[in-house]
Amino acid sequence: MDGRGGAVELRETHRLTGHADRAWALAWNPNLGAGASPVLASCGGDKTVRIWKRAPDGGWQCTDVLEDTHNRTVRSCAWSPDGKLLATASFDATTAIWEYSGGDFECVATLEGHENEVKSASWSQSGSLLATCSRDKAVWIWEMQPGNEYECVAVLQGHTQDVKMVQWHPILDILVSVSYDNTIKVWADDGNDEWHCVQTLTEADNCGHSSTVWSISFNQKGNRMVTCSDDCTLKIWDTSIDLSQPETGEGHESWQHVSTLTGYHGRTIFSAHWSSGDFIASGAGDDAICLFVEEKSSMVEGPSYRLILKKEKAHDMDINSVRWCPQDPRVLASASDDGTVKLWELRGNILA
Amino acid sequence: MDQQPKDDIDIFEPTVTLDQTHYQEGYKNGYDDGLVSGKEDGRQVGLKMGFQVGEELGFYQGCLDVWMSAIRLDQDAFSARVRKNMEQLAALLSNYPLSDPENNQVQDMMEKIRMKFRVIMASLGAKLDYEGRPTSSKEDF
Repeated sequence: MDGRGGAVELRETHRLTGHADRAWALAWNPNLGAGASPVLASCGGDKTVRIWKRAPDGGWQCTDVLEDTHNRTVRSCAWSPDGKLLATASFDATTAIWEYSGGDFECVATLEGHENEVKSASWSQSGSLLATCSRDKAVWIWEMQPGNEYECVAVLQGHTQDVKMVQWHPILDILVSVSYDNTIKVWADDGNDEWHCVQTLTEADNCGHSSTVWSISFNQKGNRMVTCSDDCTLKIWDTSIDLSQPETGEGHESWQHVSTLTGYHGRTIFSAHWSSGDFIASGAGDDAICLFVEEKSSMVEGPSYRLILKKEKAHDMDINSVRWCPQDPRVLASASDDGTVKLWELRGNILA
Repeated sequence: MDQQPKDDIDIFEPTVTLDQTHYQEGYKNGYDDGLVSGKEDGRQVGLKMGFQVGEELGFYQGCLDVWMSAIRLDQDAFSARVRKNMEQLAALLSNYPLSDPENNQVQDMMEKIRMKFRVIMASLGAKLDYEGRPTSSKEDF
């Protein structure tokens, strides 16, 4: 990998305090100018979003607090692919869109439509579509129009319970949603604004989860995704089939279960994130972070996943979110019920 | 000759069945009363439900009428997608079986109409809401 020697460790580098309540979610800005240093957004139960940047002295500081817009918990945040917009999903049933220009944040739109708490928001890679999901069991897809107007493209109903997270495929306009109903649903459109569920991954039919699915993350290439659950497992899926293509005839191919990682966390796993490299990070209710590496082996039928390390007591309470930094694939951020955000660095030679 | 007791008349019967007789009389009175008040209550409920449904559908139709007028004045008042949604709402409204309240699909159709209206409202960025309608059902944590 990088030739650095030494034992593998996840070293805590910074502890960001400021949220007055639990820190729910994190998002790294994916698209900074050349040479610019990473920007991290965090959001939480104190109804605010905090923006963190590295200070000249190497420490991290909170440069902006986005407040007075949501009047309940901000549950999740997501940057648009061009890094100029930040969507914030709130328990107040709205999703706010913030524009980041000239170093300043301004709320330029508020999307209303969900009946109750919005849990997650995700931008498509093409940048024009935004998906949101809610405790109202629905997934809404919005399209951005000129002038910060957002039109509702579709309301996807199919989950029978609270939808916890939505995530677009990194390349195709395919959307994945995960839910308290234990299933993972895949949505695609027929090219005519008609969206429908093209696949549901269940316990019975697909080796799916046996309890609430909390989180989903694709690898960079989009041919794999990891999901994590209240059943204390992580599951890896082969997502190489393009489900947005209409199938002719029988034998509709599907996304397949590849691997289940079990026994690493003793509590609900709330978050999993696949780095731009081969690492998967997981954060759970046991206050621990686990790191896995994908090993491509020619001996086995497919890739296998090995635990690199388990960081116990990474936080004092439940870990709600883990996110790898897109600009530095060895840097990991974590957010916890203890109100803090921590930055970590993965050191050592993984291959040893 | 011994007087033969008549087997088919029990002289004690009216006494023994007195409470049963009273019960039946009372039942009949109650039933007749209930029939009358039930019809009246039923009528009131029917009127109220009919009014509510009619008011809600009328509200959506009223919004549609205004939007259609706007489009006649300016074809580009709304985007193609929003216009398509409005047309779909119009179709849903005209398909609603107003004179067939027993139709077991009416609840479903009303939900579709409400959802289509919410989608249009969300796309227009408007906060207008039909005031009278019930809020969403039981909460699940």
